[in-house]
Amino acid sequence: MLTYQSTSMVIGISLALIILFLVRRDRLHGPYAIWWIGAAATVGALGFYPELFDHLAVYLGVRYPPILAIILGLGMLLVKILTMDLERSRQERLIRRLTQRLAMLEARGPLPDIGEPGSEPKVEDSAYPAPRASGSQKA
Amino acid sequence: MLNAAKQARCFPDAPALLDSPPEPPRPRAGLDRPIALIPAYNEEATIGSIVGQIRQRFDYPVVVIDDCSSDATARRARAAGATVLPLSLQLGAWGAIQTGLRYALRHGYQTAITLDADGQHEPECIGELIEPLIERQADVVIGAFPERASRARRLAWSYFRWLTGLKLEDITSGFRAYNHPAMTVLASPEASLLDYQDVGVLLILRRKRLRAVEVPVSMQPRAQGSSRVFRSWWIVGKYMLQTSVLCLARIGHRSTPLTPDD
Repeated sequence: MLTYQSTSMVIGISLALIILFLVRRDRLHGPYAIWWIGAAATVGALGFYPELFDHLAVYLGVRYPPILAIILGLGMLLVKILTMDLERSRQERLIRRLTQRLAMLEARGPLPDIGEPGSEPKVEDSAYPAPRASGSQKA
Repeated sequence: MLNAAKQARCFPDAPALLDSPPEPPRPRAGLDRPIALIPAYNEEATIGSIVGQIRQRFDYPVVVIDDCSSDATARRARAAGATVLPLSLQLGAWGAIQTGLRYALRHGYQTAITLDADGQHEPECIGELIEPLIERQADVVIGAFPERASRARRLAWSYFRWLTGLKLEDITSGFRAYNHPAMTVLASPEASLLDYQDVGVLLILRRKRLRAVEVPVSMQPRAQGSSRVFRSWWIVGKYMLQTSVLCLARIGHRSTPLTPDD
């Protein structure tokens, strides 16, 4: 039978190794890599010294140490998810503005102006089509 | 100028070259006339006649922002004499209008008019719509037609009026005219995360101390389809909740100093 210490060690080390592997393979971009290396270090340290929480719990007046670990873990997850949504909102803004700029670059003038394919009318000019009698209208 | 600076802030990594076109747009002859912006999503049935009416009656440049339509909207619009800005991702009504505003600013226009593509708004009323702008009585003019609203919609309006303190009657009308300062404010990244051209837009404008007025206009019953917002209870609920959060988030912002854009 395994002791709880070896179990936590195995879990901690394997988590840390997976994270470090991903960081080394460049799967995690800059600031995220830092967060996750920190996470790997924490998980690794706790794997080796699970009793850290026992001391911390006594110090913080928490009766049942494991719950402290769970609450801290959940708290960190919450912070992480919050920052993810912040980042997503920032990216959404960028994507929208990029899409808008692309649409502006791809502006296409009124139909008669695009005679030959491949030679788009200049965007600048396409906004000022020559006034013409629109035939298909029944005003 | 200012707009370019704001855009540059939005893309800190992009070379400055991308943000300022080679020759900066400078006012040219004819630019004092307004530009008409029409966001369109699958409106092939009506878009042609609307564009045609505006072109015929006023000879304004018309820009149709094609919000990823799957039908012939873009072709019909171009055939009727409009410039089409094709969005490659669907951005929704406000995203499309903002595209048009940015395009208008980039090309040096001083006034922009927005219309719905479904034939609800009477191009005939554009004259009345821009009058307060010409007389410099307002920065934003909203073409209001409160009578069109169902009871539920009126209830929603009075709820938002109560929540925001806005004094306007028809706060969801998409028939609007903006002057240059208003266009500049609304083209900024700050306004890019809005989803509808309604309360959020009005709140941003109020924050910048821009004046909004309403003029009564007549509106057609929708020729085709139905409102994008008031479509199903689920969407209405989402809309109400989102807009409420937006209003509440803006409460403290009421008294910010004047915009330097003027």
